[in-house]
Amino acid sequence: MSSSPLAKQVTGSKAIPTRKVVINDACELPNYYSATPGGTLYSTTPGGTRIVYEPSFIMNLRNSPLSKTPPTYEIPSSLLRGSTPEKKTKSPSKRHYNKNHIDSTKRDTKQIEDEDQFSLDL
Amino acid sequence: MSFTSLQGKACRSSIKMSANNVETENEKNDQISEEVDVCVVDYTIKHPLQCAWTMWYFENDRSQNWEDNVREIASFQTIEDFWALYNHIKPASELKQGNDYSLFKTGIKPMWEDPANKRGGRWLLSLEKKQRNQELDRCWLDAILCLVGDAFENSVEVCGAVVNIRGKGDKIAVWTADANNGPAILEIGKKLKERLHLPGRMQLGYQIHHDLMAKNSSVTKNCYTL
Repeated sequence: MSSSPLAKQVTGSKAIPTRKVVINDACELPNYYSATPGGTLYSTTPGGTRIVYEPSFIMNLRNSPLSKTPPTYEIPSSLLRGSTPEKKTKSPSKRHYNKNHIDSTKRDTKQIEDEDQFSLDL
Repeated sequence: MSFTSLQGKACRSSIKMSANNVETENEKNDQISEEVDVCVVDYTIKHPLQCAWTMWYFENDRSQNWEDNVREIASFQTIEDFWALYNHIKPASELKQGNDYSLFKTGIKPMWEDPANKRGGRWLLSLEKKQRNQELDRCWLDAILCLVGDAFENSVEVCGAVVNIRGKGDKIAVWTADANNGPAILEIGKKLKERLHLPGRMQLGYQIHHDLMAKNSSVTKNCYTL
């Protein structure tokens, strides 16, 4: 485990969480010496280990530099946080435009552009 | 975090200086959650998760098959990569009506037909319309933190989670693999209810996927209610 990146991590003083599993018969013991009765030991035992994070621990890392780094893969533009909410562009009829200034063949695209610019301010 | 308790204790005396340096930062974080029990976190490493997870997006485009509308966004297997995704996509409350986010173990598709899901069911939380603004994003985040943090004793039974944005009321569900595994289902449901901090009047119901396929979801009976 010493080569694991987790080993570099340090926490404060805290009791090691344990869970009691009652064994009534030898046949209830795991087959492997490396496994623990009940399946899970919240520690570093090989074979009996699960990686469990409390919500507070995960929340604590939310704004770390690595967490804020934009992903290398592409996120669909409609899903990007902070982009124009889709519902706003879907209802152009609710807004009033001065249609006299807009050539009727260009109206639709013009309206959508206006909508986008307007929505950004919201 | 329990995984590193041993190392934490052993190294404590040698990291005293750096512990003092981050104290103020931790005080800020305490405002977010009083349960923060981590004094020093190494921000230069990525923290591995128990499982790899894939985030999916469903866009309700009626010109296409349902299955074609289910799209993969990205997969991750560290806390930092989870946040990099979550921090850059819209919160569920800003999705268009009729659309979904799903978070499933990598390799499981967010559909009933997947071999991992077809004998399973879901713990369902139905939200009222007015809860979209205050409760929805919090509940969805709490639910997926249970998944990526491996919060359930029976986490091997968990397949994924779905949030549906719907006009008549949004839904959050945690899908499990085996609808006949009562003890595991109940353990998962109780843990979920506790982690979502649900008020008493809000109930979770467990429904079998097979029943949903056969009937309209509004009349599907709950096998368990918590």
